[in-house]
Amino acid sequence: MRVRLNPAFLFLIPALTLILVFYVVPLILSVYIGFTPLQRWNLNRMGSITAYNFERLFYMMFHDPDFGKVIRTTIVFTAFTLAINVLGGLGLGLALYLMDEVLSLPYRILWLLPRMTPVAVYSLLWYYFFLGGEEGTLNSILLRLGVINEPLSWGTDPRLLPETAWVILILVNGFVGVSFGMIVFYSAFHSIPREQVVAARVDGATTSQIVRHVLIPQVRWHIVYVTVWQLLSLLTTFAHIFLLVEWGAVHRWWGSTWALYVFNVAFKTYEQGLAAAAATVLVIIGAILGLVALRILKFKEMMVEPKGEI
Amino acid sequence: MQDSRSRASVKSLLKREIGKIRGRLKPPAYRGVWDVETIDRRRLNLLLALVLGLAGLPVFMLYVLLVMSSFANTMLSGPDIFSARYSIENWRMLFEGRLSPAAGQQYTTRDIIMIIVNTLVVALGVTAVVLVVSVMAGYAISRMRFRGRTRLMELMILLHAFPGVALIIAVYAIYVWTLGFIPTENTFAYKSYMMVYTVFARAALEIPMSIWLMKGFFDKIPWEVEWSALVDGASRFKVWREIIIPLVKPGISALAIFAFLAGWEDLIYVHVFLYPEIKTLATFIEEVVGSIETTYLPVVAAAGTLYLLPTILFFVLTQQLLLQALSGGVKA
Repeated sequence: MRVRLNPAFLFLIPALTLILVFYVVPLILSVYIGFTPLQRWNLNRMGSITAYNFERLFYMMFHDPDFGKVIRTTIVFTAFTLAINVLGGLGLGLALYLMDEVLSLPYRILWLLPRMTPVAVYSLLWYYFFLGGEEGTLNSILLRLGVINEPLSWGTDPRLLPETAWVILILVNGFVGVSFGMIVFYSAFHSIPREQVVAARVDGATTSQIVRHVLIPQVRWHIVYVTVWQLLSLLTTFAHIFLLVEWGAVHRWWGSTWALYVFNVAFKTYEQGLAAAAATVLVIIGAILGLVALRILKFKEMMVEPKGEI
Repeated sequence: MQDSRSRASVKSLLKREIGKIRGRLKPPAYRGVWDVETIDRRRLNLLLALVLGLAGLPVFMLYVLLVMSSFANTMLSGPDIFSARYSIENWRMLFEGRLSPAAGQQYTTRDIIMIIVNTLVVALGVTAVVLVVSVMAGYAISRMRFRGRTRLMELMILLHAFPGVALIIAVYAIYVWTLGFIPTENTFAYKSYMMVYTVFARAALEIPMSIWLMKGFFDKIPWEVEWSALVDGASRFKVWREIIIPLVKPGISALAIFAFLAGWEDLIYVHVFLYPEIKTLATFIEEVVGSIETTYLPVVAAAGTLYLLPTILFFVLTQQLLLQALSGGVKA
């Protein structure tokens, strides 16, 4: 008997293979590593099971001052950058929607630039802007204006920490993150039927009334969606912070978030067991937020049934 | 259960048809929300443009300063752009590998060329893998019936949201394990394996979003095209290759650009998997700036500008496509 294989399967093999090898297996393995004393990639140590990593993580949360700094940085960084990304994105999307198309297009492109720039170059730009010596852009401007008398190391000076390090992180990531909200909100505003705006206008509504009573109420769900999605990516991404810490532009602990801490423990201090345990916490948060985002997306409506199969 | 599902699908079908008809009845697109000319639009336009411009100015300034510094004899920080001397000396030094004028050679011209080639190989490799995988899977998800289709798409979204830092530890563990089987004395095989693994691992990160994007492009093709070919006796694979693919070329080129840029800009993966044996522009810049005391910054500015170049180029050439594709994935 010949087994008839669904042809769809053939088309899906490459994708399924990649997902299995690079998502499913690593996910299970990652949680497993969290329960092993893996160090220095000595894979032989993966045989024994222990809860030591989680105990240690729990202990560190309350007793390790450096780890305490990382946790506080993560909270402050996530909260403020999230606010900037959502509110800034909303403002940007709205302003671009209200503008003439001729002006709107170049602005949308301009604001996307940080997102599309290679991380290394983007970090370089900011590294140089906040550079400690006289040649750093910010120092050189402020010196010339007479605001400061001597060049300051903005991200590492103990007199300025931790606020300046936080401001640097928030600023650097804010400019990247804000474009996501901008795109979502901009297209959301455009999908609102024009008649409503016109009707409000005919009734004598001012622009600010239209914004408050017609436009904003209709993108409520998009606001929730952007918030959840950005919260998720702020908690888990670290690429834009990585080089700033590595190059010493910001303080090692006051400039690290949880995700970057996980990365550095795994690849700098080589305690993969501990890192995987800390990553497991992220996995749980990620799974919950991801499911929430799915519900908000009204996912089912986006899946159109195939019409025919011959 | 079965009944409610089919009813839902009929409903969504109806909704789509109605939407189509409505689309046809719609008057031509309005420009802005200024259909009723009761207030001065020029003033608001100007105000908004000014605010957005001022807010974006710091970042824009940084880009300009970087590009100008790559031609200047000093790193520029504002007013000094008028007093600096400009030449292509920095670029010459970059390609000669002289990153600090005082110290001896750190790199040779060949090293620099290799770094650029490596970056290109990673970027093109990621592009190829992403294209093949997501054009195939996107078609299946958009056009074919199979069990767990909706579940699979949900999974894609969840995977896209998945914390990469949790994955990379385990992906690296697998890497270490498999590298053990490659003979170290065979440098070529060893390095090739490193490169291939990195390309696949990096491409996998892009897969969920790319499949989602590609599915959207396939959804837009009318079914009649496919039916007529199938009725004429063509196989599913043949239809896909000869009829459908040519129709989604715009989608494929958008995807190719995104995948290329993703591979081109990557830092974390090339840092973890390839550095220091195989360097790319990202890890090269990471390394030179790391030894800042000896480094001549304007040369780094030249390296940064070189690295930025394809991004800017794609940007100028494909701005419409870019915005269209980016907003397509989040239409809720």
